[in-house]
Amino acid sequence: MKLLTCPVNGTRPVSEFVYGGEVRPMPDPAGCTDVEWADYVFNRSGIPGVKIEWWYHSASGTWFHAERDVATDRVLRTWMPGEAPVAYTK
Amino acid sequence: MVPRSSPLATTFIRLRPEWVTVAGMPVPGRLPEDTAVRAAALGICDVSALPRTGFKGPGAANWLAAQGLSIPGVANSWCFTEGGALVARLGRSEFLVEDGPTGGIAMRTKASLLPGEPGVYPVLRQDCALALVGERVGELFVQTCNVDFGSQDPAARGATLTQMVGVGVTVLQTELAGVPCWRIWCDGTMAPYLWETLVGIAGELGGGPVGLATAFPAWVA
Repeated sequence: MKLLTCPVNGTRPVSEFVYGGEVRPMPDPAGCTDVEWADYVFNRSGIPGVKIEWWYHSASGTWFHAERDVATDRVLRTWMPGEAPVAYTK
Repeated sequence: MVPRSSPLATTFIRLRPEWVTVAGMPVPGRLPEDTAVRAAALGICDVSALPRTGFKGPGAANWLAAQGLSIPGVANSWCFTEGGALVARLGRSEFLVEDGPTGGIAMRTKASLLPGEPGVYPVLRQDCALALVGERVGELFVQTCNVDFGSQDPAARGATLTQMVGVGVTVLQTELAGVPCWRIWCDGTMAPYLWETLVGIAGELGGGPVGLATAFPAWVA
């Protein structure tokens, strides 16, 4: 069973979580070009490596960040937005 | 006035219960085959009738404390407050307030929240609320949930938000009307599925559905 640790609710089966995509800065829609906006809306980085992602614990409605190596599917740490990352042991 | 209705109301009709009314909601007081023996093994009882409400937001904890309620200090824990009402802290800034068999704390607190209160938002709670009693509740959890409740210390008064048979639930160990029990809350739309699944497993463990009078004799005499 694959496990993921929610920073609020603890370690749970990954089936309790929903992937929310990579954390990406949104360009100012009023100030950016159409090309920049289209790139933000339609394109995603497929480069393998360590990425910061949004994850959602569906049982509690908790959104949080996870730092995950998408090449190995190994989660390095998780944390609540705006807070310091917590140690990750799984 | 139209009576309140349990999310399990249609499920119960074919069980032909003896109905009792709790806080304006008809619920099974006794079911044809429920016995103290069944309740001692594993009884599943609908307690959706207990009045409850919710609050969330960055100001919710301080606001509830200002209303005179005892508040759990840490996320995912619970405590009793005045009048035997249960206050569960779900995550960091959301609270469930549910009355016990007596008292009107939940509705009174709900009515106290005025529009525009900074950082406090009401949460409509029309859950299916169950109470599980008996010696074999732990075995049911093992078959239906990934959380190891057996390793939890009841004195810690933890509240767990997880999934049972794929349904999002809040689970905690407490007592109701003097009877030690496990409480489960889930969204009402999933109630018949969760109920039927749990009842099926309970039947294999010598238990099954029980009415309020069987599970909590001191509550419904």
